[in-house]
Amino acid sequence: MTRVNVTVNGRAREIDVEPAKLLVHAVREDLGLTGTHVGCLTGDCGACTVRIDGATVKSCSVLAVSAEGAQITTVEGLAGPGGLHPVQQAFWDEFGFQCGYCLPGMLLTACELLEDDPDPTDEAITLAVNGNLCRCTGYHAVKRSIRCAADRMREGS
Amino acid sequence: MTSIGTSARKADGEVLLTGRGRFVDDHVLPGMRHAAIVRSDRAHARITGVDTSAAERAPGVELVLTGDQAARHTGPIPHFIDPAARGGRRAEVRCLAVGKVVHAGQAVAAVVARTRREAEAAALLVEVGYAPLPHVLDADEALLPDAPRLYEEWPDNVILHNHYGTGDVDAALAGADLVVTETVRIGRTTTAPIEPRGYLASWDRFDESLTVYGSVQNPHQLRWMLARSLDLDETRIRVVTARVGGSFGLKMQGHPEETLICLLSRLTEAPVKWIEDRRECFLSGAREQVHRVTVGATNDGRIVAVRDRIVANAGAVTAQPGWAMPNMSATTLASGYLVPNVEAELHVVATNKPPLNAARGFGKDGAHFVMERIVDLVARGLGADPAHVRRVNLIPAGRFPFRTATGLNIDSGDFPGLLDKALKALEYDTLRARQRELRDRGRYLGIGLAFELTPESADGPGTFVSGFDVTTVRMNMSGGVTVLTGVTSPGGGNDTAIAQIVSDELGVPLGWIQVVQGDTDRCPSGFGNFSGRGMVVGGGSAALAARDVRAKLAVVGARMLGVAPEEAEVTGGVVRVAAEPERSVAVPDVAAAVLTRAFAVASEVEPVLEATRAFKPGNIDHVPDERGRIQPYPTYSNCLHAAVVEVDPETGVTTLADFVMVHDCGVVINPALVEGQAHGAIVMGLGAALTEQLSYDDEGRLLTDRFKSYLLPRAGDLPEVRLEHQVTPSPFTMYGNKGAGEAGVGGAQAAVANAVEDALAPFGVTVTQVPLPAPVVLDLIERATAK
Repeated sequence: MTRVNVTVNGRAREIDVEPAKLLVHAVREDLGLTGTHVGCLTGDCGACTVRIDGATVKSCSVLAVSAEGAQITTVEGLAGPGGLHPVQQAFWDEFGFQCGYCLPGMLLTACELLEDDPDPTDEAITLAVNGNLCRCTGYHAVKRSIRCAADRMREGS
Repeated sequence: MTSIGTSARKADGEVLLTGRGRFVDDHVLPGMRHAAIVRSDRAHARITGVDTSAAERAPGVELVLTGDQAARHTGPIPHFIDPAARGGRRAEVRCLAVGKVVHAGQAVAAVVARTRREAEAAALLVEVGYAPLPHVLDADEALLPDAPRLYEEWPDNVILHNHYGTGDVDAALAGADLVVTETVRIGRTTTAPIEPRGYLASWDRFDESLTVYGSVQNPHQLRWMLARSLDLDETRIRVVTARVGGSFGLKMQGHPEETLICLLSRLTEAPVKWIEDRRECFLSGAREQVHRVTVGATNDGRIVAVRDRIVANAGAVTAQPGWAMPNMSATTLASGYLVPNVEAELHVVATNKPPLNAARGFGKDGAHFVMERIVDLVARGLGADPAHVRRVNLIPAGRFPFRTATGLNIDSGDFPGLLDKALKALEYDTLRARQRELRDRGRYLGIGLAFELTPESADGPGTFVSGFDVTTVRMNMSGGVTVLTGVTSPGGGNDTAIAQIVSDELGVPLGWIQVVQGDTDRCPSGFGNFSGRGMVVGGGSAALAARDVRAKLAVVGARMLGVAPEEAEVTGGVVRVAAEPERSVAVPDVAAAVLTRAFAVASEVEPVLEATRAFKPGNIDHVPDERGRIQPYPTYSNCLHAAVVEVDPETGVTTLADFVMVHDCGVVINPALVEGQAHGAIVMGLGAALTEQLSYDDEGRLLTDRFKSYLLPRAGDLPEVRLEHQVTPSPFTMYGNKGAGEAGVGGAQAAVANAVEDALAPFGVTVTQVPLPAPVVLDLIERATAK
């Protein structure tokens, strides 16, 4: 077992993990944050996406021990005391998900995109979610949700 | 009515958005153990021995179970759709292979350990001895007299052989001006929800009862099946459908692991969880068919006869319903067209590929692909425009209900209306001009049209495919409403739409209503999710139950207001005098009165604020007509697809340029939810048309076992899909609604195939298969130009 110190959704956490443990399993099992999902374990589907020091990462492709000292954001860390994050709100209003299994990855990917580029082109939105598979929506409402979130966030700022 | 017809947001939205949706893998029970499964790497072999000794000594291992051991504790798994009920053959299906394996990937042994990692590591240590048997992977080859046989007790490899249709095809072909024959092939795909399957079984040794959490579509059917295979009384089993992360048919019941995981829990006396990995998930096939078609038409474009000899590759037999899908490929011919003479011969064939499970489209997609190829082949043969040939042959709006040659009784529709709307959305004439212009510049644009008829809310006599469902509406003392229904939702949102119906019918705000699904101890006996039935029968039964409760509220509320019941109305959470809306009493006060003043103001009513009702839609008829045809569907959604593609003949790459679907599912309860499902289904069809195919090596081992090799469409692969509605109400359902959710797969697949052929018309290419990845397109061009 190896001790790993991370800050998860703003809270310092200390976990002991096997050196070969994937970050996604540590997040779900040791940190108890089951909003991050396992879809493939081959880095293809994006359901396990989390943010490490701001950058989206497929947490099935990262060892838990390599996250030592990192700031991790999971889907549970998006909503604030004032309610849902504007990206979450837009996905709800615009039907950006159905079953919700790919949703954590879509939300975190959208947040990263809009922080980097508050007014993304349609192509940029498409490119951002190209690494996230969704079998329910056909991506139409996903892209519409991100556009809606971008518009609202710019109006709000 | 205020809620029906509006796009209420998903009721579970906040839960899912904040990561609190509890999927099966998120359930943890005290003392929980984990299972891993040892799978065959042979397509067909006798099991000569299973050595579990090394696995048993591995760290953390509590149990290693072989097929022979499992067979001492469990019986065969009953079929979800018994082939014998359709005149076909049964096979004995076990949770672990006994004696021999019939496909690579079949479960042979299982390990239970403290952790999943330990279970998986130990599973690698189980040594299975195999004596290879000859195997067959191709369905045509499996039909040959000397083919290897999967099941010794069968005379051949045929699960089902049947004929469908009426009319005199020979005579019609003899009198036709044009006769076209072609062989078209539909590749093997899979549903691939992002959440794989999983089960958590917990045996309680004190009261000898079993609780199963699972990512399943049909909890009540599963309870019955487990009762049979485990030899337990149904009253001792509770199935809870954990939140489902998409299913598309995959999570219909009959999978061996359902019985297996329950048995492992019983034997270890601990809760046991098994979550399928992605590789295992790719084992389930969705469709694979060959159609040998002969079609006759007259010079004015009328199709007078269709003969189709269908060979469907079902893979090995399991208890899952997937084997039955090709039936619908046959009976959905000739789709929504006025073809008087249809003859379909179907062979559903067992091979040593892994089994099929149900898949969105349920075989109807096969009929759409074939029929739409037929229409385009006729158009090409006559030198006519494909839109014109469709217009000539589509059943006109005034002809419903329309009995097809195969027996389907289509309830309603305006099929030419769909075509008009689609052509307008495309700006068809302008687009054809642009196509000519681009061709002159060496660019190959193609336009493909496809009609799709989606029979929905099926009832199969003598099977678990039931065409009705049951809902309880229960009001508590505070006026809050719990709706318990037998239909389930794999994510599409029928829970939200059912709440909308209850809101309107009961007369209370949407926010007062909670819908509970998928728990056999809480919900009335029902049949779960399949065949676009959620709103037809779940919605219909919820309406009936809500009306009963509303009637009681009206009686007591009227009494509280001092008026006659017929003078009162229930709306927006109050009972009020219809003629004097300002005179009202709040529904919670009426509910409290019913339950606390049962011998005073509520003395006239039975003090139960609860109703359970079933809804049986019209139009289903299982009494065979004079030609032996039955009618298993109440209602038929329909749509018309138009795909625009550009094909690069140098690389073979097809790029989707535009896509339009005009959709008619009758009256729409929640437009955004319906549109969302349609988008998903279309994209599933686009994947099946272009990139998705399960491939196997010569030994029957799956090659496409991850998303890197089985290519689901990604956002960047798709055009902006455009959707339009047409509303033709069904006379046979509660609100005139038809099923939604399935429509899209078959039509999108067919439209793209037609568009690719249209794009490559200058090369004389005939599209004879899907999918159409670049190498296949290059091959088609090469074959066409070599002629």
